[in-house]
Amino acid sequence: MSDKTVDRVAAATPAPVARKIKGLSDRAIAWIFVAPTIFLLLAINIFPLIWTIRLSFTNYKANRINREPEFIGLRNYERILTDSDIWLNMQATAHFLFWTIFFQVLIGFTLAWLINKKFKGNDLWTTIIVLPMMLSPAVVGNFWKFLYQPQIGLFNYIVGFFTGKDPSSFEMLGSVNLAPWSIVIVDTWMWTPFVMLICLAGLRSIPDYIYEAAEIDRASKIRQFFTITIPMVLPFLMLAVLFRGIENFKMFDLVVQLTGGGPGSTTELTSINLKREAFEKWRTGYASAYAIILFVTVFGLASIYVKALNKVKER
Amino acid sequence: MSNFVNGLLRFRRGPWEMLATIIIALGVFMLMQPFVIWAFTYSFITTLVGTVMFIIVSHFPEDD
Amino acid sequence: MSSFSVTEPTNRTKWFAGTLVIAYALITMIPLVWIGLTGFKSPADAISYPPKYVIGSDSEAGFQPTLEGYVNLFTTRTRQTQDYLDANPPENWADEIVRQYDMVIVGPSKFGERFMNSVIIGFGSTFLSVFLGTLAAYAFSRFKIPLADDLLFFILSTRMMPPIAVAIPIFLMYRQLGLSDTHLGMILLYTAVNISLAVWLLKSFIDGIPTEYEEAALIDGYTRFQAFYKVVLPQAATGIASTAIFCLIFAWNEYAFAVLLTTANAQTAPPFIPTIIGIGGLDWPAIAAGVTLFLLPVMIFTILLRKHLLRGITFGAVRK
Repeated sequence: MSDKTVDRVAAATPAPVARKIKGLSDRAIAWIFVAPTIFLLLAINIFPLIWTIRLSFTNYKANRINREPEFIGLRNYERILTDSDIWLNMQATAHFLFWTIFFQVLIGFTLAWLINKKFKGNDLWTTIIVLPMMLSPAVVGNFWKFLYQPQIGLFNYIVGFFTGKDPSSFEMLGSVNLAPWSIVIVDTWMWTPFVMLICLAGLRSIPDYIYEAAEIDRASKIRQFFTITIPMVLPFLMLAVLFRGIENFKMFDLVVQLTGGGPGSTTELTSINLKREAFEKWRTGYASAYAIILFVTVFGLASIYVKALNKVKER
Repeated sequence: MSNFVNGLLRFRRGPWEMLATIIIALGVFMLMQPFVIWAFTYSFITTLVGTVMFIIVSHFPEDD
Repeated sequence: MSSFSVTEPTNRTKWFAGTLVIAYALITMIPLVWIGLTGFKSPADAISYPPKYVIGSDSEAGFQPTLEGYVNLFTTRTRQTQDYLDANPPENWADEIVRQYDMVIVGPSKFGERFMNSVIIGFGSTFLSVFLGTLAAYAFSRFKIPLADDLLFFILSTRMMPPIAVAIPIFLMYRQLGLSDTHLGMILLYTAVNISLAVWLLKSFIDGIPTEYEEAALIDGYTRFQAFYKVVLPQAATGIASTAIFCLIFAWNEYAFAVLLTTANAQTAPPFIPTIIGIGGLDWPAIAAGVTLFLLPVMIFTILLRKHLLRGITFGAVRK
C-alpha cells in the first residue's frame, strides 16, 4: 500500500466521519459486523423454533384460526412416540440412511482412490462426476420418475437389456419391494460425488514421506493401504458419513418428487410424514412436537459432527 | 479406561464429550431400530439428555 | 517424470484407474443426456418402446428432433375447430408446430415468470447472505468475540435444521406479517439458510489471509473499516466469489420452502416444473425441456468454475 492511497483516502473522508469511524473500537466493530447475522438468524430461526416448542404443547390447528388452542402438556409427544406407524416411518428412514451411506462410501472411496492415481485429465472427469450433486434434488427426482416408468423408462429398458427381463414386468416406483431401493439408487447417483470429494481431500492430505518411509521398511502395497491409507482417510470418511446422515435424515425434496412417499407408506420418510401432518391434515400442534423430535435428533448429530470436525482440524 | 474414569471424575472435556456422544448415538439408534417399540418411545428423551449434556460438557476445561 | 518416486503410480496403474473413472463418469451422465434428448422429441417419440436415441435417423432407434417440447413449455394452447384453423394461417414457426394437433397458441405459459422468480430470489438472497456473511466472518476471524465457538456452532446448526420443521412456524409467522408468497419473504428465508454456510466458508478464507497486511495498513493510519475494505476484501475476492456461487446454487435448487410457502406470485421453478401437463397426462418433452433449461446454468457454472467449486465443497465440510 503506497502513501498515495492513504492520502487519497484521508482527503476523501470528511473529517467528522473520519473521526467517528476512527473512534470505533475493535469491539464495537466486531459487534456491528456480527449483529445483522445474529439478528436475522434470531428472527428466522430461533424465534420460530421457540414458537414451535410452545405450539408442541397445544392442540393448535393452523387452518382454524378462530379456535383458541388448548394447552395439552406432553400429550402430543406421548402420541407420536407410541405410534407404531411413525415407528415404521423411522425404519423406512433408517433403511434409506443405511443403504445410501453404504453405497456412497463404497463407490465414493473407490473413485477417490482411483482419481488420486493422478492419471491425465483427472480433474476434468472429476468435474463431470460431480455434476449430479450440484443439481436441484426436486428436479432430479422429477426426471428420474420418467426414467423409472415401467413401459417407457430408460432404466427399465437398460435393466431389461442386461438381464433379459421384460422391461414392463417390474415397476421400480409402484412395487412395495422395489420402491425403497429406487430412492436409494437415485440418492446414490446424486451424492456419491460428495463422499468422493471428501475422501479425495483426505487422500491428498497424506504426506508422501509416510509412504516413502513404508517403502523403505519394505511394507507391501496392500499393507500400506491398510495401515496408512485407511486410517488416515478415516476421519474424513467419518465427516462425510455424518454429513450425509444428517442430510438424508431430513430428506424431503428428492423423494417427495420421486415417489411421494408411496406405494402405501413404504418410502414415507419422516420429513414427508411430517409434511402430511403439518400441511395436509393441519395438525399444527402435533406436527410441532414431531418437528421438535427431529430437531433434537439433528442437533445431537450436528454436535457429533462438529466434534469430528475438530478432530480433522487438529491434523 | 482408568484415564477415562479419571477424566470423568475431574470434569475434563474429552471423556465427558465421549460419553455424551455415545448417549446421542444410542438415542438415534433407538429412534430408528426395528426391534422393540419401547426403545423407540424412550429414544427422544435419550437423545435430548445426550445433546443437552454435550452442550454443557463442551465448556469443561480441556485435558492437561 | 524425470526423477523416480515411490509414490508416483506406474503408467499401467494410471491407465487402469483412468479407464474405471471415465467409465463411471459416462454411466453417471446417461440420465442427464437422456433428459436433454427427450426435450427435443415429440411426445410420441418420448414414450416409445424401445427407446429412440439416434438424432435425425429414420431407423427404428431414430427420431426427428423437434422444438415441440420447448414450444409447449413456454406457451398455453387451445384446441380449435377446423374452420378456424383454415381461416387463420399459422403466424410463425411455433404456431406451425402446434397446428399439427389442431391447436393454436393463445399466450405465454407461466414458466418464464417462474424462471424469473428463481433468478430474482436467487440473486437477491445470494447478495444479502454474502454481504452479511463477509462482515460476520471477518469479525469472527479477526476479533475476540465472547462465546465465539458457541455462536459459530449455533450458526452452523441452523443450516442443519430440517426445512419442513422450520417451515411450520415460518408459515404461521409469514401469514401474520403478510410475507407469504412474496419475493422479499423468500429472499429473507433463503438468506437465513445460506448465511451459515457463507459465514463458515468465508471465515476459512479470511483466516487464510495473513494479518500482517492489515496491521501494516493500521500503522499507516488506516482505520479498521478502511483496512477491512481496502486490504482484506480484495484479497478475499476469490473466496467471496465461490461462496456466492454456493449460495446461488442452493437458492436456485431449493424446493421444500418454495412449495410450502409460495403458490403463485413468488413461486420458483422447481415446484412448477412437475406440474406441466400436456394432452392426456404429463407432457414429458415439455418437462424435459424445462428441466434442461433449469439445470443447464448450474452445469455450465460447475464446469467453468470447477477449481473454486471443488475446493469450496471440501472446505465447507472439512474445515472449520
